[in-house]
Amino acid sequence: MAERPEDLNLPNAVITRIIKEALPDGVNISKEARSAISRAASVFVLYATSCANNFAMKGKRKTLNASDVLSAMEEMEFQRFVTPLKEALEAYRREQKGKKEASEQKKKDKDKKDCEEQDKSREEEDEDEERLDEEEQNEEEEVDN
Amino acid sequence: MATVAVAAAGSGMPKEEKAPEGEAAALQVQALMSAHCLALVLGVGIGGVTSGGCLWDSKGLAKANSDVMLAGQEAIFILARVLELFVETIAKNAYCCAQQGKRKTPQRRDLDNAIEAVNEFTFLEGTLD
Repeated sequence: MAERPEDLNLPNAVITRIIKEALPDGVNISKEARSAISRAASVFVLYATSCANNFAMKGKRKTLNASDVLSAMEEMEFQRFVTPLKEALEAYRREQKGKKEASEQKKKDKDKKDCEEQDKSREEEDEDEERLDEEEQNEEEEVDN
Repeated sequence: MATVAVAAAGSGMPKEEKAPEGEAAALQVQALMSAHCLALVLGVGIGGVTSGGCLWDSKGLAKANSDVMLAGQEAIFILARVLELFVETIAKNAYCCAQQGKRKTPQRRDLDNAIEAVNEFTFLEGTLD
């Protein structure tokens, strides 16, 4: 775990940005309240992780997955987070799937290109060999003559 | 509390994800915490990169300590989104408390009042002093 309390701090810029987006335009928040929210968020993420951890342990798993976090939200009485989280997860999965498909397509294109280049180089080699054979034949014919 | 190691090495999330146009605003995914930020908070290393005083990579941690859990990419993403929702919720509640006191700027006492008023926030009582 973290060695010092300040190791648990979340980035201030990120926290400030989320707070500003949550509040109406032109509304400021005191510095003390902002730092308290940051500390609350740190406590919350550790609490959520601990709860999710328990669900993973119950399932005899070593890896936390999204469903563990969603179950933890239910247990922590943050049920209202579950729907937006599921929607966010769907969007994330779609994005990851798109990225995966794009990278696979890129790989296929690269393989195809490599194959074409290999074929081309083989053809060139064959042509070179044929030319050499012809030259040898010509030389032999000249010697015979 | 168990330590969490990030399974997907360096699986940083984009700072800001805009949902495709036309989709509901609720689908806008703003994963504002990267996996690295969360790893710092949870005191773990991402694929060998040490952070938060952690001296092992995720594999070493898992072998050394039976309490250690690995967190998949999706779990890290969801935790980041959860954090965002939590900060939004607590900030809005503090603002409501400030408005009740006919003030526009939420103060520390408004945050304390919000924590007292909302059942879900009881776990925070006494932790922010």
